[in-house]
Amino acid sequence: MRRRALPTLLACIALNVPFVAWSATAPADAIKYRKAVMSAMGAHIGAFMLINFGKVEHQDHLKAHTSALADLGAEVKVLFPAGTDTGDTDALPLIWKEQDQFKKLVTDLETSSAKLRDAAAANDKAGTMAAFKAVGEACKGCHDRYRKADD
Amino acid sequence: MKTADPGVRKDSRRPRFPHRQTTLVGCAHVTALLLLTGVCLAPGLSRAADERVAIERGQYLVHAGGCLTCHTADRPDAIPLAGGRALETPFGTYYTPNLTPDAATGLGAWTKADIGRALRDGVAPDGSYYYPVFPYPAYTGLSDSDVAAIAAFLRNLKPVRQVIPDHEIPWYLSNRVVMWGWNLLNFTPGRYAPDASRNAAWNRGAYLVRHLGHCGECHTPRNALGGLDRTQELAGNPGGPDGEKIPDITQDKTSGIGNWSEDEIVLFLEYGVLPDGDFAGSSMSDVISDNTAKLTTEDRLAIAAYLKALDAPDRPRP
Repeated sequence: MRRRALPTLLACIALNVPFVAWSATAPADAIKYRKAVMSAMGAHIGAFMLINFGKVEHQDHLKAHTSALADLGAEVKVLFPAGTDTGDTDALPLIWKEQDQFKKLVTDLETSSAKLRDAAAANDKAGTMAAFKAVGEACKGCHDRYRKADD
Repeated sequence: MKTADPGVRKDSRRPRFPHRQTTLVGCAHVTALLLLTGVCLAPGLSRAADERVAIERGQYLVHAGGCLTCHTADRPDAIPLAGGRALETPFGTYYTPNLTPDAATGLGAWTKADIGRALRDGVAPDGSYYYPVFPYPAYTGLSDSDVAAIAAFLRNLKPVRQVIPDHEIPWYLSNRVVMWGWNLLNFTPGRYAPDASRNAAWNRGAYLVRHLGHCGECHTPRNALGGLDRTQELAGNPGGPDGEKIPDITQDKTSGIGNWSEDEIVLFLEYGVLPDGDFAGSSMSDVISDNTAKLTTEDRLAIAAYLKALDAPDRPRP
């Protein structure tokens, strides 16, 4: 029994990996979903700025936007599955060649967007600005290296 | 040539107050010594303080001048200002020099005047011309005090030994004398002269945008010779550095940033965030981190004031 455990496990892994990949979302849809989440984050940032910099008086909406940003920021790590480097996307193949560096920036976004949510909830102005700056650094850092420039 | 010192002049008092006189002479000596020390040291001390102020100001100006972005190699562990970044242009690939004061590979042998001449005239200490990939046509407007501060800061950097590869340039540019002709056609040396009809913020903005920040080097289209087309100031450049398409930042409401408020420009320069919530990537991301995010809010406001006052360029619409 024990002897068979490892080969069985290996067989499962060997069989399951292609099965999972085959059964997963079509890359084109994964790319569409990625774009939708990115646009949603952009829209929340846009709304956040209008409130935070005093352009509109919807202070009570701040929590909704920063919470959504924190939730979506935590999702980004699953938005770049293998096979979504080609097609209708501005994501550069470098992402899949530099996974460690890429994941660091994605983790930075997750951490900083959570801080932004917490600081905004605590009505901590300085903390909010500092966290917003960190969110921006993560976004810019990724877009600079891993997003195709406008053409 | 008579001295006013009573202790020396009043000979008649010598026998009467021999002791006191000695004291007086002694006091005079000590005072003179102290004065002399003060005279010698005080300017030295204030010079050192002036130098510190200049170095600090120079650091701000080196950020505002965008020196870091090009003169730092494109590696995560690159040492700032030690050069080595490859700049790909339609006129070849250029490797940025090492600006640290290393004797063999950097500016170690340069005087402050050499630095000023390079910045504002585009001429190296050996008299050879720089290629205009180095924005001396913009830096020519820098004030004397800004140039002195930048030089003080650069001279004070820790020397870093970094050998820079030779430029990879087309044959017709390999002789730098060609740049003499290019300068004749495309380069107007001269300090920034404030426009009295505009306010202080606009003038500061003009100095930052046109000269120190050299925004036009990327955002203004170029003619066939690579000179800036100044009639299209900041109207965008489809063939920018590294083949990037550089956007129009005039007040055109369609292709430019005519719909951005001054506040939105300031936020973009500080955080890299666009009014629609997207974040700038590409080369502007580095410009924001190295340069515009490091500026004072007043300077960012000045840039915004200048940009908002810029007309949309007059050109055919597609």
